[in-house]
Amino acid sequence: MRRYGRRAPYATEFIIGILLLGTSAVQGEALSGPAPVTQVVAIDKPNDSGGSVLIRWKRSADDGAGMMSVKGYEILRSVEREKGYEHLTVVPAGVEEYVDNTTVDGTSYFYIIGATDGVHRTDSDPVGPVMSSAQWFHQGRLNMLIATVLLSGLVLWFINRAKKGKKLYIRPIAGLQAVDEAVGRATEMGRPVLYVPGIQDMDNIQTIAGIVILGRVAERTAQYGTPLIVPTSRSLVMTAAQETVKEAYLNVGRPDAYNPDLIRYLTDDQFGYAAGVDGMMVREKPAAIFYMGAFYAESLILAETGHSTGAIQIAGTAMPAQLPFFVTACDYTLIGEELFAASAYLSKEPLLLGSLKGQDWGKAIFIAILLLGSILASFGHYFLSDWLTTGSL
Amino acid sequence: MEGEIRFILATDCGSTTTKAILIERRGEEYRLVVRGEAPTTVEAPFEDVTRGVLNAIREVEELAGRRILEGGEIIKPSKGPDEGVDIYVSTSSAGGGLQMMVAGVVKSMTGESAARAALGAGAIVMDVIASNDGRAPHQKVERIRRFRPDMILLSGGVDGGTVSHVAELAELIAAAEPRPRFGSGYSLPIIYAGNRDARGIVKERLGADTALEIVENIRPVLERENLGPARGKIHELFMEHVMAHAPGYRKLMSWTDVPIMPTPGAVGLLIELIAKRDGIEVIGVDIGGATTDVFSVFKEVFNRTVSANLGMSYSVSNVLAEAGVEKITRWIPFEVEEIGLRNTIRNKMIRPTTVPQNLQELLMEQAVAREALRLAFEQHKSMAVGLKGIQQERTISDVFEQTATGATLVDMMDLDMIVGSGGVLSHAPRRSQAALMMIDAFLPEGVTRLAVDSIFMMPQLGVLSTVHQQAATQVFDRDCLIRLGTCIAPVGLAEEDEPCMKLKVTLPSGEDVEREVRFGEMILIPLGVGEGADIVMDPVKEFDVGAGRGKVLKTTVEGGVVGIIVDARGRPLQLPERAELRMRKLKEWAMALDAYPRLDLW
Repeated sequence: MRRYGRRAPYATEFIIGILLLGTSAVQGEALSGPAPVTQVVAIDKPNDSGGSVLIRWKRSADDGAGMMSVKGYEILRSVEREKGYEHLTVVPAGVEEYVDNTTVDGTSYFYIIGATDGVHRTDSDPVGPVMSSAQWFHQGRLNMLIATVLLSGLVLWFINRAKKGKKLYIRPIAGLQAVDEAVGRATEMGRPVLYVPGIQDMDNIQTIAGIVILGRVAERTAQYGTPLIVPTSRSLVMTAAQETVKEAYLNVGRPDAYNPDLIRYLTDDQFGYAAGVDGMMVREKPAAIFYMGAFYAESLILAETGHSTGAIQIAGTAMPAQLPFFVTACDYTLIGEELFAASAYLSKEPLLLGSLKGQDWGKAIFIAILLLGSILASFGHYFLSDWLTTGSL
Repeated sequence: MEGEIRFILATDCGSTTTKAILIERRGEEYRLVVRGEAPTTVEAPFEDVTRGVLNAIREVEELAGRRILEGGEIIKPSKGPDEGVDIYVSTSSAGGGLQMMVAGVVKSMTGESAARAALGAGAIVMDVIASNDGRAPHQKVERIRRFRPDMILLSGGVDGGTVSHVAELAELIAAAEPRPRFGSGYSLPIIYAGNRDARGIVKERLGADTALEIVENIRPVLERENLGPARGKIHELFMEHVMAHAPGYRKLMSWTDVPIMPTPGAVGLLIELIAKRDGIEVIGVDIGGATTDVFSVFKEVFNRTVSANLGMSYSVSNVLAEAGVEKITRWIPFEVEEIGLRNTIRNKMIRPTTVPQNLQELLMEQAVAREALRLAFEQHKSMAVGLKGIQQERTISDVFEQTATGATLVDMMDLDMIVGSGGVLSHAPRRSQAALMMIDAFLPEGVTRLAVDSIFMMPQLGVLSTVHQQAATQVFDRDCLIRLGTCIAPVGLAEEDEPCMKLKVTLPSGEDVEREVRFGEMILIPLGVGEGADIVMDPVKEFDVGAGRGKVLKTTVEGGVVGIIVDARGRPLQLPERAELRMRKLKEWAMALDAYPRLDLW
């Protein structure tokens, strides 16, 4: 082991050092600096995109024990074993690991860790060469890989089953089953159906789900010969709604009954829109009202007015704060994910059905694993929770 | 009028047989005296229904020793103790009964209400035409032309509701130019019971070419049904148009004191009356050769359905087709080849008046009957539903359980009584066979009384109830029903032989019968007709006998010719899948009820 001495920069310190030198044998040891670090290892940092080297060591015998003299560890790096070491940084005492994020991939490096007490430094032997590089596979994400494969496998398997004509059971959603009933009520009463697709634009997934359900409702109104009014608060939503309704009317062979004037843009303003829709409710007295999409504070204003007109109301939103208002003021409410599941439920398309079923099973499996992990952790076994969080056992 | 009446004559003109009963007031109560029957004579060569009626009355005359006819006419009112009757009433299902088509705007709303009105009036509903039934207009027109109904009930729209849809339906009917089944020289009766705002346009479309009658809307608002006026008009038109044009009915109508009613309508009326009088929930079933009628009163709502293709003779092959061989063989406690079963069933269809010649044939017939009853009951449950399309009131507690409208009204746990009727039930060699068939088909839950109609006189009593309610109910209680006993069926599932209930029965003698009931067994506790017993049922926590899961129920049960039947086979009933085990269990259950002789030797 080599010891690289260092001249004290200040005279006072030098004098104190001389004075202390003669006092005792123990003090004599202090002159040669703290004990060096041991077991120094430098490796390419795993599971990264390159450009970093991980250096680990066992701390000095004088760090937290012995002379208690270690103040920190100096990291030195060179591209040659014997010379050219440059100071990288100093890490505090007690630390046993450092990541050098300044390496160039493909270049070999050597490292020395010097234990320092503020005056002297005792260096380790150089370690290396070590070369940083990018990894193709992040082993810490093995858990995610398994989850992805499992989920995809389930989805594909269920899609395949659905395509083969196997019946996939989906829990009946009362709100969706009531679509026919609501449109039927409007038909018997000779009044229109009002469809409110929320106040957000087409970049909101809830609005998209709302437009998908609008297609189904429009098919029914076309079959029953009942007018369908769709007020929108965004111009893009109006265009999308018009296209959807037009297609629905074509699908059931009633293109003549399609009236684009009933799908209107009101205003982008939240409460201006709410006031406009309320006015329609009071004037037109629709017998069935649908609220499907993203809603904010206007939800209760709309739902209460609709209820007072005696309409059957079916709402669906993933906005948790608005759900209680819809539940109490509407006949049926699609809660959160039910809104997104609606398109699969209504269309019975194998692709959508299989995806829905696969995702549900995936969720069920993950919930079971989380529960198991919690139970094991409660009894002091952390391997499952560790694996879930870090991907390594 | 009721106080003066002593002798009552009632007939029911069925498709094949005309049945006559004579009722007499003895002291303070009315009792059945005799019953006579003769073949119905609507068809050629006679083509006069009154001939069969007179023949049946003659039999009554002979059996009762009373002179009722004089010169081919009924002597009315009665003259002294041995001559004449005070009232004569009749029902009829001859010539296929009353066959109707109904129309409504939305099939599950006014269409369904119209069907309920027609069924409740005793009609067979041949088709329901609706704006949303998915058929093209020409297909609907073709259906109306092909079926040739006796009558059409047109409904649609609430009052102040849609007019255009109703006008469209009226135009469809007008375009079909429907002709009635009987009589070529008269117009088809059409009852309009829809939106009052559309009356003008319906009159304009249909008034000229049909016998249009307008009554109150059957759905004035979606939240309420108003079937009475439409039903009343159906009965009236049945008499005026359909019956008046059937052979001999004009003469028969002149004899009767109240209008002739369609047979099922009269049965329904009686069942509704009894349910109302006793405040009970009832299911009645009449399994015939061609059709099976199911009646029910739940939550004070009367419903009737007719399964026009489920029966024990003409329609028996259809039962096989609908239920499938497996469903039928699951009730047969011996090995039977499929071809043998099919042949037995087909023989019954082409020779409808034959009866089983041996025990095997009887068991096969009763297996078919179970399935026919089960299927008819399934249909009934889907029709006996709450109103659809009504606004609901919600609270935040409904967040995860949003019940839909249109749920079935049939609740087997609330059911108090099942009344069976029809040859296979009323004429089963042992009454316990009828009880077992009804239990297997309807799967009653909790405590349910069982009864059969002894000689199928419910139709006559039904029509009689419109003119003399006291006589009808007294004869119904004393002579019509044969009380089989009470079925106790805990609801729940367990492993075979696991205890499911403790039972303590205090018999009229004061003797206590205590039993631990095990899952999968049937027990018979004898208790005679007219006797009652106090019973304490203590189910284990997975089972419910009517008070809730694991809760004790104390009640009084009625006896009957069979007794108290404890059915611990669980609900829903799951028969063993392995054939050998299933047959062993079927024999065990039948032997527990002493339903068949020497079954243990098989």
